[in-house]
Amino acid sequence: MRIFVSGLRKLVGRPASFVSVGLLVGLLGLIIIASATVAQRSESPNAGARALALVTFPGAYDLILSFMLGFGGLVAVIYGAAIAGSEWGWGTLKNAVARGESRTRYVLGTFAAIVVMVAAGLALTFVLGVGIALVGASLAGVSTAGLTDADTLARLPALAARGWFSVVEQAALGFAIATLARSQLAGIGAGIAFYFGEGFASIFLPDIIKYMPFSVARAAVDTGATGGGIGGGGLTQALAPDTALLLVAAWLVGSLVVAVGFTERAEITG
Amino acid sequence: MATRGLRKSYGSRLALDGLDLSVPSGVVYGFLGPNGAGKTTTMRLLTGLLHPDAGSIELLGQPFRRGDRRRLFEVGALVESPSFYPYLSGRQNLRALAAAGASVSAGRIDELLELVGLRERAKDKVSGYSLGMKQRLGIAGALLSDPKLLLLDEPANGLDPAGIVAMRETLRRLAAAGKTVFVSSHLLAEVQVLADVIGIIAAGRLVREGSLEALLTDQGVVRVRVGREQADATRAALDGIAPEIAVAGGGVEVWLTVHVEPSRAAEVNRRLAEAGIYASGLEAGTDLEPLFLELTGGGASAEGTMQGIAR
Ligand SMILES: Nc1ncnc2c1ncn2[C@@H]1O[C@H](COP(=O)(O)OP(=O)(O)OP(=O)(O)O)[C@@H](O)[C@H]1O
Ligand SMILES: [Mg+2]
Repeated sequence: MRIFVSGLRKLVGRPASFVSVGLLVGLLGLIIIASATVAQRSESPNAGARALALVTFPGAYDLILSFMLGFGGLVAVIYGAAIAGSEWGWGTLKNAVARGESRTRYVLGTFAAIVVMVAAGLALTFVLGVGIALVGASLAGVSTAGLTDADTLARLPALAARGWFSVVEQAALGFAIATLARSQLAGIGAGIAFYFGEGFASIFLPDIIKYMPFSVARAAVDTGATGGGIGGGGLTQALAPDTALLLVAAWLVGSLVVAVGFTERAEITG
Repeated sequence: MATRGLRKSYGSRLALDGLDLSVPSGVVYGFLGPNGAGKTTTMRLLTGLLHPDAGSIELLGQPFRRGDRRRLFEVGALVESPSFYPYLSGRQNLRALAAAGASVSAGRIDELLELVGLRERAKDKVSGYSLGMKQRLGIAGALLSDPKLLLLDEPANGLDPAGIVAMRETLRRLAAAGKTVFVSSHLLAEVQVLADVIGIIAAGRLVREGSLEALLTDQGVVRVRVGREQADATRAALDGIAPEIAVAGGGVEVWLTVHVEPSRAAEVNRRLAEAGIYASGLEAGTDLEPLFLELTGGGASAEGTMQGIAR
């Protein structure tokens, strides 16, 4: 518990936390404002209508969620890798071990803090995203009546929980990779390579890749709850959302087992 | 604290080759060795960062094996360079450190920030600290849980003279209060003014261990400078005071080296006076530096450098 609270305190003050949320909100805002501008000015009625749909609620929820859970996964890999990697690079893991702390407890406590930070980051991004979308709607001059669409709002909590879980899994993956690499930079690099490598490989090996961590994370949130294809197209081979959710749990646990196991056995030098 | 036959390799490189240390409690122990001798490796083994390939460790009189991590609750350590979160302040870093391992009493962090002279800068980010300030914070971190055994790996690194003096006083005070302080260094002079007991390590093995006093007596010398023509008369006058008297120097004057405790310099002087010999120079000191260089493989070329502590 001490490790968890301390881990949380460390992450709250950490630039990587702000940068992650800032990146998500910034890009999301850019997309929304651009859509609103296109909707307003477009000469082609077709493109205009499509852009308009993006900033009109409840459709705007789809945009926000699919962006958060899609791009958010990549940010989470990097975030998880940065935190695990820096413990090795900065030698702060060494400090804790030399003070007699349990390595397992230290790793799990640190990760538990990440889980909470991911929830906070997603919630913040969502709230700010909705705020920006409201601005976008008023820019485009459409009604915001769909904001309180009862059907969509009823589905949000379940989707939020699934989204959180799948983003946490992706953070765990980055965490484990950087632990193996014992380095922040190498961990982030390998995490990004894995993320895009998996996406690329899915073109050729869809039957295998659909079980891989990033694909299952995407499939787990693709419940059609908001009527839109969260995570984008190309998921014809994807697993059923509930099967995917089980695999997300498996990858999450597996990543943590690897991180803990490696740290327990590691010779800490440097 | 003690080690028996401690062995450790990094891959194929042997870093410790059967190290036997005996560190009595309540003393400052100077762990002396040249670069790459295995000092940091020893510290890592003592803090459970590494596990020995062979041999055993005893911390505070109890065996320390894999899984005995709680024994480290009574140990404070600074291994190699101090490590911190650069984006957190000095105080926040100590708080983060306090969250791991042994508990830390309230008010302890402020007390330590005061002790190491960082109170004014406690709110600043560590990334903006100078080398010596990080070192001071590292020492504060080692003292966090008021340890019974303190392990410091080259703690004087980067400290200014005032910082070194303050650290020395702190360590002496801790030893006086019954704590054991184990300090590594590659500087003999630094250890001489600090330690009660010295262990010299070279290439992963202990080559000499004993109280500073005993080493100084063992290695004590009185050197006399006389005219070349008086060399034989001087040797005769000092006959019997030491088993061997060496003569060195080929100029108009020569140095005679008498291996006796430095405190017997007056006796040497008296004998010369009684024989009517007037030395143009008389020095009392130790041959510790040449001994250190010799023991640690630095060669005997430094023969003649006098360590002036008893001068
Ligand atoms: N992480 C490591 N990987 C491989 N070899 C290492 C590692 N750390 C130390 N060594 C080797 O082990 C030996 C002992 O190194 P150690 O760091 O213990 O020396 P030291 O006495 O602390 O030296 P210094 O005075 O330079 O700090 C050296 O030969 C060194 O090259
Ligand atoms: Mg060293």
